[in-house]
Amino acid sequence: MQQDKSLLYEFKKGLWQDIPPFRLLLGLCPALAVSNSAINGLSMGLATLFVLFTSNIVVSLIRRTISAKVRIPAYVVVIATLVTVTDIFLAAVFPAISKALGPYIPLIVANCIILGRAEAFAQKNALLPTAMDTLGIGIGFTMSLTLMGTIREVLGFGSVFGMQLLGSWFEPWIVMILPAGAFLVLGGLVALVSWISSRKAARARAAETAAS
Amino acid sequence: MNGVKKMLLNLIIVGALSGAVLSGVFTKAEPLIKANKEKELREAIFMVLPEAKDFKVVEKTVGQQKLIVYKGIDAGGLPVGVAFKADGNGFSANIGLMVGLDLDYLRLKGIEVLEQLETPGLGDRIRDESFKDQFKGLETRPRIEYIKYRKPERPNQIQAITGATISSEAVIKNINRAVEQVVANFPREEMMKAEEGPRQAAPATEGQDAAR
Amino acid sequence: MDQKTTNTTPGTAVGKPSVREAAAEAPAAAARLIVSSSPHFMADESIPKIMHTVVAALMPAAAASIYFFGWRALLLIVFCIASCLATEYAFQRIRRQPVKIHDGSAVITGMLLAMTLPAGFPLFGAFLGSFFAIGVGKQLFGGLGYNIFNPALLGRAFLMATYPVLTTTWVEPRTVEKAVDAVTAATPIGLWKFEGNMDFNLLDMFLGNTAGSLGETSALAIIIGGLYLRYKGYINWKLPLGYLGTIAAVSAVFWLVNPARYPDPLFHLFAGGAMLGAWFMVTDMVTSPTTSLGQWIFVIAAGVMAVVIRIFGGLPEGVMYSILFMNAFVPLLNKHTRPRVFGMVKSGKG
Repeated sequence: MQQDKSLLYEFKKGLWQDIPPFRLLLGLCPALAVSNSAINGLSMGLATLFVLFTSNIVVSLIRRTISAKVRIPAYVVVIATLVTVTDIFLAAVFPAISKALGPYIPLIVANCIILGRAEAFAQKNALLPTAMDTLGIGIGFTMSLTLMGTIREVLGFGSVFGMQLLGSWFEPWIVMILPAGAFLVLGGLVALVSWISSRKAARARAAETAAS
Repeated sequence: MNGVKKMLLNLIIVGALSGAVLSGVFTKAEPLIKANKEKELREAIFMVLPEAKDFKVVEKTVGQQKLIVYKGIDAGGLPVGVAFKADGNGFSANIGLMVGLDLDYLRLKGIEVLEQLETPGLGDRIRDESFKDQFKGLETRPRIEYIKYRKPERPNQIQAITGATISSEAVIKNINRAVEQVVANFPREEMMKAEEGPRQAAPATEGQDAAR
Repeated sequence: MDQKTTNTTPGTAVGKPSVREAAAEAPAAAARLIVSSSPHFMADESIPKIMHTVVAALMPAAAASIYFFGWRALLLIVFCIASCLATEYAFQRIRRQPVKIHDGSAVITGMLLAMTLPAGFPLFGAFLGSFFAIGVGKQLFGGLGYNIFNPALLGRAFLMATYPVLTTTWVEPRTVEKAVDAVTAATPIGLWKFEGNMDFNLLDMFLGNTAGSLGETSALAIIIGGLYLRYKGYINWKLPLGYLGTIAAVSAVFWLVNPARYPDPLFHLFAGGAMLGAWFMVTDMVTSPTTSLGQWIFVIAAGVMAVVIRIFGGLPEGVMYSILFMNAFVPLLNKHTRPRVFGMVKSGKG
């Protein structure tokens, strides 16, 4: 396992095994705060993916030149720069999204996934594995936020990506747009993901015993 | 000593590079961001003064306060009404409104909600057309009032949103306060004066200058 | 699965002497087996019995709600009970546990939930509330005895956040003359809170002749049920009277300071869910403290909070949140207010 960490493995682990909000329980602040609609979840996920990917590429590139004692401040400067670039870009090109996400774009700086990946992975690995790792984690994060946003939007507004899905018979669950709904959906999904993986593990164990 | 030098050099280089990137991005993005804000303002003004084709900014300093009204003018340069912002506390946070006042200085022409963080499903129904439409033609003297559960009886009354009395009341309070301020500080005669027609070629430029 | 002792709250688990230690110090070990008040001395057989008594105690309030709001009230009560039972059955089957819907606890949850809803509440909403109450409020915590929060109140809180308009759209009782058709109306407490209306009829509020949720209107019917429970010995007088007493005392302070603005204590006792909460929710055996000191802290804090929310909060009614909030402290209260047994040395901190 240690040896054959292929590039594909680095990419795939972020999609299920280490999917940030549900398995690592990282990045919960944006997952709770800006998952009230599918489009918000998706755009927040993509913004985070961009910062995660670019900042970790930079970290991986400078990993040998940066003195170990000042690496954290250096990484934070890199991350903060890229977050500010994202913030300015969104405000200039997608003002509506920028307004909807509000302070949560600048707060990507404090997203522990990013510094976490930089410390745990990018500073020890070459460019290509780092790229695969952050793409996997970032896409996993984006999918998670989009999923949460979709669930909350369907129940809270009866729509998906702004398109009305449920008819007028549906009485929207206001709670799903409120912070309480974020906690309910997150808790439900964490439980679901753990349940599925424990079932998988149990089945794998059963197969092993049957084989031996 | 060498270690300290290296650390300093590391940080200086990282900081300088990030500064360069940021200033570059910002110079490119700033005009776009300004244009977005400008567009938003224009749209809000034209929403509350439907006949207006352009507007002139009138500024006054009263005591410490700087008051701004937007004088809406039609294609021939004749005034059609004044628009102004009305901010104040709602149930959760600031409610920012754009209010359009008829030149008779008595009736409203319309309102638009620019900014609000009221409870989804309750207070945020102040954005509903059915609520905002009640302000079209509403009399502002004596002060606007709300009434509950029933259809309004007097020309200065609106029906409050069921379950969101506090938000409805906040909207009314904001409007009342702002209307009084405008009526007291911007004499009607001043606003009745005709202006040059909008310069068809570059209406955006005019608005832009004005907003500064 | 043996659930005989499911009602033991974590706080009442006495220290863990090893077997050897226990054998060596038999007297001391025996002294550690403190049996405090309810719930864990209950034998399994008595759970249905208690639950059925509580159901009987709710009957006067149910009858009053049908008298005041008509058959729609009965439909709502029956539907909530059925939904709670169905949810309980489904969860116990899925989790492959013994099905125990006959123990009556889900019936109580359904009845209490219905009691907190307005008579015109739609049935899909009632089902959602029942499902949340039993599914999330009880079964996800591990079933009867493990739940931290009162399930019915949790269901109501969920509905309050989910359908804020529907849960506060009340109808006038049939008995009020002016109501030709059932039109929406405000509760006395809502009238006071949002319109400064201080003109209320305390007798009507006591009897239940006002707009409101099914079980919060008639204080009289709830008191009858509560006294029956007390007579049967299933509730501790401290809990309801402590809660109501605190509400009365705190509201009296405001009333004495400014009687023109704050209603008198009787209003606070008869309005909203104070009576229902005091007799049937504060007294919930699973979600209230087991020690005497803990119970005092619980009811006084909840009572203060209820009045504070009513007077200063954005919502007119604070009973539900006051009880739910204090429910969260019950394990802590049980842990830190356990009486020290005579002769025992206080064990090390932590």
